Amino acid sequence: MNEFVYKLDDMGYAYRGPVSSFSLELESLRVGPGEILALVGPNGAGKTTLLMLLAFLARPGRGRLEFLGGDPWANEASVVRARRDAVLVTHHPYLFKGTVADNLSFGLRLRNIPEAEWPARLRSALALVELEGWEKKSVLGLSAGQAQRVALARALALRPRVLLLDEPTANIDAGLGLRMEAVLREVSRESGTTVVFSTHNFSQASRLADDILYLSDGRRVEFSHENCFSGTAATDGRRSWIEPRPGVRIFFPGETRGHVTCVINPADIRLFAAGEAAEPSPGRNVFGGRVTRMETTDAATALVRASGSLTFRIALPVAELEAKGISLSRDVLLRFEPESVKIVGPRTPGNPRD
Amino acid sequence: MIFRELALAIWVSLKTSGLAALIASAIAVPAALFLAGRDFRGKRLVLLINQTWMAAPTVVIGLLFYSLLSRSGPFGGLGLLYTQAAMTVGQVFLILPLIVGFSYTALRQVDKRARLTALALGATPRQAGWVVLREAKYALLIAVLAGFARAISEVGIAMMLGGNIRNATRNITTSIALETAKGEFRNGIVLGAVLLVITLGINLLVQTGLRGKDKD
Repeated sequence: MNEFVYKLDDMGYAYRGPVSSFSLELESLRVGPGEILALVGPNGAGKTTLLMLLAFLARPGRGRLEFLGGDPWANEASVVRARRDAVLVTHHPYLFKGTVADNLSFGLRLRNIPEAEWPARLRSALALVELEGWEKKSVLGLSAGQAQRVALARALALRPRVLLLDEPTANIDAGLGLRMEAVLREVSRESGTTVVFSTHNFSQASRLADDILYLSDGRRVEFSHENCFSGTAATDGRRSWIEPRPGVRIFFPGETRGHVTCVINPADIRLFAAGEAAEPSPGRNVFGGRVTRMETTDAATALVRASGSLTFRIALPVAELEAKGISLSRDVLLRFEPESVKIVGPRTPGNPRD
Repeated sequence: MIFRELALAIWVSLKTSGLAALIASAIAVPAALFLAGRDFRGKRLVLLINQTWMAAPTVVIGLLFYSLLSRSGPFGGLGLLYTQAAMTVGQVFLILPLIVGFSYTALRQVDKRARLTALALGATPRQAGWVVLREAKYALLIAVLAGFARAISEVGIAMMLGGNIRNATRNITTSIALETAKGEFRNGIVLGAVLLVITLGINLLVQTGLRGKDKD
């Protein structure tokens, strides 16, 4: 058995379109069998591009992409074989004209799965996405959410080694989205299917994934895009800052000029109830705000969203949250050191693709 | 005009034009698939030539093939002039750009995600091509039927390359031309009506067949 399903080294991909250009650079990425990997980042970060590369629908311009220990791009047959092992469900899935069953059996026919097996596979795949008995329904007139579930069932029916999902719960209501997450966990655990999915939702990524890959402007960044800000850097020679909003500065050390994107690790931000000393001083990053969302990623860690002049997401121990008496709608102060601000590189001009 | 002669003229029309539509479709649809799926230098020129070719008068194509197939022409040795085969060849060249043009438009309208989805689900490039064709099947059928209608209703090529030989290359349109020249307008109108009924029948047959297949 291969140690890794995907092994990427120094991989680069560049897209040059008539109106925009985009490049994705990944020094290294390893995805193991049965692992769930979340790709998190803002629009234009490169999540979809990376999924296209992992689905072998786009070819890296340079570097090495190994799949199950081999080169998927060795020849035409190997690419088709790899695509049959790693099935992508896109954000806006396309359903072939006909019935739900026509769509679900498409990939089974390609793989020469005996027709006797089809009904059982279709039934179980549709049951997983809560569309039991929909085999004979025409795909015309399905809502975006239903189409997304049919597309997911179409992939699940194939029982692939790797399931690649581009924002799988984007068109689905919250309750069903959570149930779909449970399905993905179950598929990963019971069948050993590797799942790679993209999301804007940091808490979904935290809940579901074994590992999270944060992307920004086509590069791996250390932290979530939740605390990701862009602006033109100014400097006084000792320290630099950007103004994501007029009059609101984020300071960081060193001398930096030009348009930059920076991120702040949610765990590096300290949170205080308003009125509690936050040691304000010039050059310190101190912001006021109000708690607009609270959730827990696991039993011990809470995620808090505080919105004021800027919106930040803060990760802190649940115990600390309780000790400080921080609750929803409470006014808070938050602080982080300039050293916690990571510059993730100049922003690519133009209109990069997601 | 006796019944047997009429039946033979109808048969010649159906045979030559039906064959021309099949041959032209076999060339035009893959060509349209190629054009619709790729961007290359000179593509606009190819489309421009195709559009211009669509407007070519039937007598010009008839004349061109007449010069090629006549005894002194480069293909005179084949002995095709004044045969049904010559009529079919001429009609293929007449309707080829029409089917290419209609099919190209039909295939361009297929959602680009159709091919990508087929590939993502494990189709080979050839299978993905078939998926695109299947998604556009109604529009492609219209393209083929339009080509057939153009071929069966033309008179210039049939007259010049077939020669309107009784019981051999005389088809419905050359019969209409002959009857009209003889002053037998009533026969001409009846033959015209027969032509329309045939076209209507074929259209109904194909569309009913497709609808039935879709319900399966």
